[in-house]
Amino acid sequence: MASARKPAAGHRLEPWEVFQQAKEGDPMRHGGNVLAPDADLATHYARELYGRRQESHRLWIVRRADIRVLEDADLLDPPLDRSFKKPGGYVMRGKLEAARAKAGTEKPRARSEGHDRTGGRRSAGDQA
Amino acid sequence: MTGAVLALDPRLRTALAELVLTMADDEFVSGFTDSEWTGIAPILEEDVAMSSISQDELGHAKALFELLATVLDDGRDADALAYDRQPDEYRHARLLDHARGDWADTIARRFLYEIADEARLASIGTGYPPLANLVEKLRREERYHRMHATVWIDRLANGGAEPRRRLEAALAALSVDAATVFTPLAGEADLLEAGVVTRSLAAAEAAWRGDLTSILVPLGLRVPPAAAEPPVDGRSNHSEAFRWLWGEFTTVRRLDPTAVW
Repeated sequence: MASARKPAAGHRLEPWEVFQQAKEGDPMRHGGNVLAPDADLATHYARELYGRRQESHRLWIVRRADIRVLEDADLLDPPLDRSFKKPGGYVMRGKLEAARAKAGTEKPRARSEGHDRTGGRRSAGDQA
Repeated sequence: MTGAVLALDPRLRTALAELVLTMADDEFVSGFTDSEWTGIAPILEEDVAMSSISQDELGHAKALFELLATVLDDGRDADALAYDRQPDEYRHARLLDHARGDWADTIARRFLYEIADEARLASIGTGYPPLANLVEKLRREERYHRMHATVWIDRLANGGAEPRRRLEAALAALSVDAATVFTPLAGEADLLEAGVVTRSLAAAEAAWRGDLTSILVPLGLRVPPAAAEPPVDGRSNHSEAFRWLWGEFTTVRRLDPTAVW
């Protein structure tokens, strides 16, 4: 079997990254990867490892070599303070409260409820 | 379902049971033979793929044996039909009598069988609705098996001298038994008349040859030659390799046939 395990030139095994979508409309999430010698077998193996239990509605199979990778700290994690680029770095609450007091209006209820960023999942009990 | 079974006249029931038994045994034996690769396939991914395909085939066999149990209605359940027979009583095609062999042997056998199975499944009509409904589901899963076998035929044919030599040797060794999936059934005329099948096994074999030709000839591979006459004993007279496999797959069952799982 030793010869069968040694792939012929041009048929080397290489990694393919597999992304899964659980149901239509869901985001594609990285599932893992498979080793395969070509796109057809990569597709078969992705199907077997990430789809045979009906856990996937759709798969994306991408050759790892075709992925552009960016992991440059100069670009992604610059040394100087960049907190002013984050929304949290610009606090509006005090200014809004002052403006409302001046105009004599109240904070709109619907918007204040949606402001916790949980999409309404946080219950009243959690907030207490 | 019982109503439909009771409505069958005895001759048609016998013919239907024969057809379903051959289909079930084909899937059962090929599933067990291919499961011999679990743990030793060429790469891990292929190990998972081949094991999963083998499980699919055993799942198809289970569904067919369950259907057969309702047709026969003789008190035997799917397990009894699958395991409680002597080797000579199995009716799988002799193509599936060939042992696992090397990877090329397995791919060549699977390829010849999968294309034949598709030709047979495409011949099932609506004459017996429970079978027609089951076949519709089987065909959706078999499509993937066919793709897998065909991709591998292509890879071995184009994978360099050694893989190609092994594939050609495997196809040549299987060639005499290649068409045994289409061994005539005693009750074929009754099945045709009742619309359980829509074409003869000979017509299905012609379709199979067409499919083989369209895949093998562009790869420069030889299509197994047609026999002058259809094989009379293409589903009997099983090999030593099958007798060994039978001993393996009935081991646990024979320890205690009445065990409850």
